[in-house]
Amino acid sequence: MDSWVRFNAQSQAKERVIRAAQYACTLLGYTLQKGGATADLHKTVSQLEAHMSMTRKMLRLGNSVEALEAAKRAIHLSDSVLRLCLTISHLNRAMYFVCDNILWAGKTGLIPKLDQHKWSQRSFRYYLFALILNLTRDVYELRLLMECEGPYRASKAPHSPNPSTTLSADHLSSPATPATSAWIRRQLHLLVTVLYSNPPLLLDLVKNSCDIFIPLDRLGIYPTGPGFVGACGLASSALSILTMVHPWLKLKP
Amino acid sequence: MDGFVKFTNQSQGRDRIFRATQYACALSIYLLRNNAERKDLVAKLKSLETNMSAGRKLFRLGNTINSIEAAKRTMRLSDRVLCLCLTTANINRALYFICDNVLWARSVGLIRGVDKERWSLNSSRCYFLSLVMSLTRDVYVVLQLMTERARDKNFRQKMETHLGESPDVAEAVVPQLDAFCFLLLESLRSHPAVAVDTLKNICDLFIPLHRLGLYQSNAGVVGFCGLMSSVIGIVTLVQPKFTLKP
Repeated sequence: MDSWVRFNAQSQAKERVIRAAQYACTLLGYTLQKGGATADLHKTVSQLEAHMSMTRKMLRLGNSVEALEAAKRAIHLSDSVLRLCLTISHLNRAMYFVCDNILWAGKTGLIPKLDQHKWSQRSFRYYLFALILNLTRDVYELRLLMECEGPYRASKAPHSPNPSTTLSADHLSSPATPATSAWIRRQLHLLVTVLYSNPPLLLDLVKNSCDIFIPLDRLGIYPTGPGFVGACGLASSALSILTMVHPWLKLKP
Repeated sequence: MDGFVKFTNQSQGRDRIFRATQYACALSIYLLRNNAERKDLVAKLKSLETNMSAGRKLFRLGNTINSIEAAKRTMRLSDRVLCLCLTTANINRALYFICDNVLWARSVGLIRGVDKERWSLNSSRCYFLSLVMSLTRDVYVVLQLMTERARDKNFRQKMETHLGESPDVAEAVVPQLDAFCFLLLESLRSHPAVAVDTLKNICDLFIPLHRLGLYQSNAGVVGFCGLMSSVIGIVTLVQPKFTLKP
């Protein structure tokens, strides 16, 4: 109970729980529609989803300041790729929150004649850019770790029957040769090992991969449907709650 | 900016800002109610107030557990009066949150067949009782401080000088009242947390008093008192020295 109190005290944590509930409603609405439930129940679920979405918009009212502060901190990183990715990602997040705040003002009636569709599309574009940059950062970190881990494993592993010189000649001729497939298998094994020994990176990668389907669907770039979007949103919210409950699982910086 | 981020990261901080905005809207609506030119603005403020109120109800969904945990903590206090007042206040707050959650579920459509009026009255009653208990605790703390100060030799000297200062002023007609007021003000000045908490609880008290019909004021008074208590609440969070412990 004490941990719930501490968790509840963070407003970001509450927002994540409401996000999980919102995407659960999306998924539930899709399931009910497929299962042929009553229109009444479907309407209740949609109304609940809309109410949670509005509340989350209200809760996010101050977040652009937080994103700008995070961007300011990211500028001081030593690694240039990380610095670039994270700063631009935070700036895109700040712009996403600004668009989101404007949408909230439009929905509550503070700004009467607001083109909600235009601003909604804008906000999803910024969100998509931020997610692409986060994924780029994840892939970069993964590549760095694999480069470190690769030679270490090669020195530990027994001498391979196929020397590395035949490898480069062979993989140019035909992709199905045993040397190439062995290389691919080794790389995959290395990838799995690196991810397994770095849970924060794995969690961040899975979370961003799940999240990216949401703006892709809403912008019409890769429409998947409300069921898949709901499932992805729910999964990423659950992972994000997990990183809040266990702060060691959060990817730093 | 860093302080703002830290403040809004606490869910209590955000809730207090939303509450202040909600009551500021209520006050503005009351002040502009007869102004025909500002009908648009009044409609916008009403919509903002409704949205904030609905959002806050969802935001408060987990707070029952917080209050129960607080009640468990206050049950272990050594001072019996404090223990009784604070535990009763926390239990009543937990009941208030339960009523509030039921009202939320009804407004969203999850529960049907719930008498909104009855549950709203019950929630106001629980809130009122928790405020009365908090005020009782404040009065008890102030009385304790006053007794402690009255026994202090340095303070007694200070009081003698104050009473002896101006014998021809009206206060000297009732010297006991003057002494009591001086003691009260000095005690409150030395412990601002108690003064701030008392003021906040008195402001808050007008809200359920109006809803329950015990002291009919008007929407303007309710809005003003709500705004004042929210602002005091924000100040208490920003400056922890104004938070009354336990």
